Amino acid sequence: MRRIIRRIVDDFNIKKQANELGVKVWQAPSVLFILMGVVIVTAMTAIYFISRNNYSPEILIFSEIAVVAVLFTIGSFIIKSIEEVARANKMKSEFISITSHQLKTPLTEVNWEIEFLLSQHGKLLNQEQKDIIKTITNSNTKIIKLVNDLLDVVRIEQGRFILTEEKMDIVKVVEEVIEENKFLAKSSNIEIKFIKPDFVPEIIADRRRMKVVIDNFVSNAIKYIKSKGHIEISVDAKNDEIMVCVKDNGIGIPRSQHDIIFQKFFRSDNAAKYQTEGTGLGLYIAKNIIDQSGGKIWFKSVEEEGSAFYFSLPIKRNNPNNK
Amino acid sequence: MGKKIVIIEDDNILQDTLKKFLSTKGYEVSGAINGEDGVELVKKENPNLLLLDIVLPKKDGFGVIKDLKADESTKNIPIVLLTNLGNLDDVQKALDLGATTYLIKADYKLEEIVQKIEETLN
Repeated sequence: MRRIIRRIVDDFNIKKQANELGVKVWQAPSVLFILMGVVIVTAMTAIYFISRNNYSPEILIFSEIAVVAVLFTIGSFIIKSIEEVARANKMKSEFISITSHQLKTPLTEVNWEIEFLLSQHGKLLNQEQKDIIKTITNSNTKIIKLVNDLLDVVRIEQGRFILTEEKMDIVKVVEEVIEENKFLAKSSNIEIKFIKPDFVPEIIADRRRMKVVIDNFVSNAIKYIKSKGHIEISVDAKNDEIMVCVKDNGIGIPRSQHDIIFQKFFRSDNAAKYQTEGTGLGLYIAKNIIDQSGGKIWFKSVEEEGSAFYFSLPIKRNNPNNK
Repeated sequence: MGKKIVIIEDDNILQDTLKKFLSTKGYEVSGAINGEDGVELVKKENPNLLLLDIVLPKKDGFGVIKDLKADESTKNIPIVLLTNLGNLDDVQKALDLGATTYLIKADYKLEEIVQKIEETLN
């Protein structure tokens, strides 16, 4: 009930609506619709009175034409404002896409130059200097990830999100993710445990994107453990599917927000309070990746106790696309 | 003597870093910054492998692949695409034209590129 009332209040909060859409108040669709309603009611009343007092059909026709003209004008304003919003949305996507691409080359340059520097002159550096360089590399990698996320979101919005298919070993990907997050986990006093299964068959999926999903689970776990926590990662294979689970003893997600955590830009109240860093894009992208790969993604979480994030993927056998 | 690699990449810094790094790994590396010069260089050097960017001035990566595949002396040179994955359709198009494999620049460390080169050469 409260939600419905809030919705109605929001519908009438024209200034807020105009701000959200980035248009002028008189261009907001609700204003134009209300205006249109007022015109229709006034016109009907006017026509009623005119036709009651005058029996001249000319006047009736003229007033009808006048009403239709006014309605057309308002209608064209509505169309124009919708077009403007759509155009702005498209421009935003293109802007993100172009700038992100432009950012990628210099970011790659930084990472490669640092790697080259370390490979050639690493021996001359002391531990403190090496740590500084490691921090720079980590920060740069973080920007690359963010840029990749932005590009993925734009692709999802434009319906151009394409996944590749290749044979991959999920255990190896988990190990890579652990290796890459080791430094960060250690500095937050977090222990990562990997329960490795005896045997996991290879699956066919987009390796890079699977790494994005697992990395998202693990880096979220690290981010939302207050201190001295532990993360347990497990991989299981049964009934023609593999399942990956990342469990933490972090701050958890409030019950009231369980339904919306995969939404774009969502950040839970307690997460935003506790940890300012985060875009709210990671799980949205992860869900799109897993859904599009034919898998399932879900979680269990209790506030103040921790969260466990899961995804499962079908093990495709005898796939004609096997390479 | 080390194996020969040609890099066609229009970003000078990326090309330079890659060249220097691959040289330390024992490869003999030369590079071009546009497609036309690139095709000439490949024909002259006859390398064991080509690293090829897709978006290039004068002649793009697709044009380069077509030219090399049409020439008897260069058609068997393995081609590794260097891309920033602007569009997977483009990568697929290049693979269909005959490129061997691809790698995403922003996601690859130099060491991983060497691995990919070795895998492709073997």
